[in-house]
Amino acid sequence: MGLITVRGLVKNYESNGITVRAIRGIDLAIGRGEFSAIAGPSGSGKTTLLNIIGGLDRPTEGRVSVSGTDLGTLSPRELSELRLRRIGFIFQAYNLIPVLTALENVEYVLLLQGVDREERTRRSMAILREVGLEAEAHRVPGKLSGGQQQRVAVGRAIVSEPDIILADEPTANLDQKTGAALLDLMHELNHRRKTTFIFSTHDSMVMERAERLIYLVDGSVDSDRTRGAAHFTRKKPAAAKKRK
Amino acid sequence: MNTKIVLMLAWRNLWRNRRRSLVVISSIAFGIFAMILSMGLMNGFNSQMVENTISTSLGHAAIHKNGFRDSMKLELNFAMDAKTIKALEATPGIRAWAPRVKAQGMLRSSEASRGVMLVGIDPEREKHLTKVSDSLVNDNESRYLSGPADKGILISKALAKRLDLFVGDRLVLMMQDRKNEIVGVGMQVVGLFQTPVESFDKFVAFTGIRTLQETAGMGGAISEINLVLGDRNEVDAVKRALIASINNPGLEVLSWKDMAPNLVSAIQLFDTMMYIFFAIVFITVIFSVANTLIMAIMERFHEIGVMKSIGTKPSMIFWIIMCEAANLGLVGLAAGTVLGAGLTTLLGARGIDFSFFNESMRLWGTGSVIYPVIKGMDIVAAGGIVLATTAIAALYPALKAARIRPLEALHFV
Repeated sequence: MGLITVRGLVKNYESNGITVRAIRGIDLAIGRGEFSAIAGPSGSGKTTLLNIIGGLDRPTEGRVSVSGTDLGTLSPRELSELRLRRIGFIFQAYNLIPVLTALENVEYVLLLQGVDREERTRRSMAILREVGLEAEAHRVPGKLSGGQQQRVAVGRAIVSEPDIILADEPTANLDQKTGAALLDLMHELNHRRKTTFIFSTHDSMVMERAERLIYLVDGSVDSDRTRGAAHFTRKKPAAAKKRK
Repeated sequence: MNTKIVLMLAWRNLWRNRRRSLVVISSIAFGIFAMILSMGLMNGFNSQMVENTISTSLGHAAIHKNGFRDSMKLELNFAMDAKTIKALEATPGIRAWAPRVKAQGMLRSSEASRGVMLVGIDPEREKHLTKVSDSLVNDNESRYLSGPADKGILISKALAKRLDLFVGDRLVLMMQDRKNEIVGVGMQVVGLFQTPVESFDKFVAFTGIRTLQETAGMGGAISEINLVLGDRNEVDAVKRALIASINNPGLEVLSWKDMAPNLVSAIQLFDTMMYIFFAIVFITVIFSVANTLIMAIMERFHEIGVMKSIGTKPSMIFWIIMCEAANLGLVGLAAGTVLGAGLTTLLGARGIDFSFFNESMRLWGTGSVIYPVIKGMDIVAAGGIVLATTAIAALYPALKAARIRPLEALHFV
């Protein structure tokens, strides 16, 4: 059984009295440590699928399980707890908390988990070091570049060592070089920590580098190809080197 | 829930829109400032009104024959026996006491006549009880009564003007004696006084207690014993203790509140008016705070969605918003308290001169200079009102923020 199992997933929206069929029956299994991308044209349902897997949205039909737990059986509070403990999110617009420093943004999730201060700071600084932002730890997001902010967002997503990281268009607001560096970093983390990464993306670079590419068209899986890690071209051997 | 992060986020969020927060904080601070200053002024006004009434006529409490206070009849008198004196000496909290005889009568000069309450006093004892001796007008010929048997009369400056009398002039006192027979006696005006209480000055005159007792044919009987306390707030306890120790069902012990119910009602009326004023001020503060928080939440709608999507519980979002409101309130409270307490203390030392309203002030018996007084409870009340106000104002925005659905907020731009 995969880490994530999707069975008979259907999601309909009502919009101005018209039923929009965003997802029309998807079956998927995603295993631990996969580096997958969900791609497809606009409106194909990739973000909707990602939101349902992340427990942010509920399916109209079908079920999604994470480690055997059916998300449909969980209350909003339990879903919130699941997102806190098991799932990390990376958003297109970075979405850091602007009044917190880079370090505090990374610490935030650990703080919600009740990790004590010393441990929290130690782990967060280690993550910032890993994403190459140790020197920027005490800067607020407004003082960081887009690429730096997205790396803080990656740090925030991985610091609690979740099983799954869901990244919605993580490179969309970055230039190609910065986006590539970020992908290097995430792949490095995936490789080393065995964290499952699932991207929703338009970006050909992300599609190219993903080990598995699930292509959606009109809310259904059009193709699902696994290419293995060998094809992934890493620009640098370690992501820990400082990036600007 | 981690209190530290809630407080930190609330504090930092407060200063994201510095100008908007400062406007709200200023409005709260102004409300508090106005509240403390006006309460201080009203405290001073009330306190002076009460103190002047106590120090000119009533004392803090008085012992009478039952029913004397209502009818003021001369026959409702009593003998000051050893048991009563012992009770007065033994009751803790009493600073001074003095016997009095009170008789209603008519003062006649060659020009006019006025009805008065003539009070026979023991001048030495009375000095420790009331301020009549301190209220003599600055006139070389004006003097205080020399002893209980002094046959002179002290009248107010206002009464002297109405009767067209000066110090040294003679007048005729006409009154009913104990046998209800009309008696008349000539008296010399030995002194003029002026107190801050207009009603007192218009209707009260003083003579020696023995002089009045002889004129009224009362022997050694008296109408009342007035007493003053070290602390006005102990009046009810002292009253209870005196009733128990005198243990005479024919005598009543009344506090100043019993003797001047109109004064108590006036103070309650002023307090109620103050509370209505504060309610209006703080209702506007509620809308101001609520408006600010709703705007802040709308600006952070997406951010709150992100926070919830990464596992922040609704209760934490709720408390962040509540704490933001509390921060607005506390900063406003601190600023308002410093300004309000500072100015009130300064004015309390220097006084505010309302002599341009002299006649009105004398009508209320406050004196023309009001010394504002800050009470600790006023500051506590101000703090309580601000915290309650901001909590009420924040409740709706905080609940609204806590109920934001993360998915909806993530799509909100």
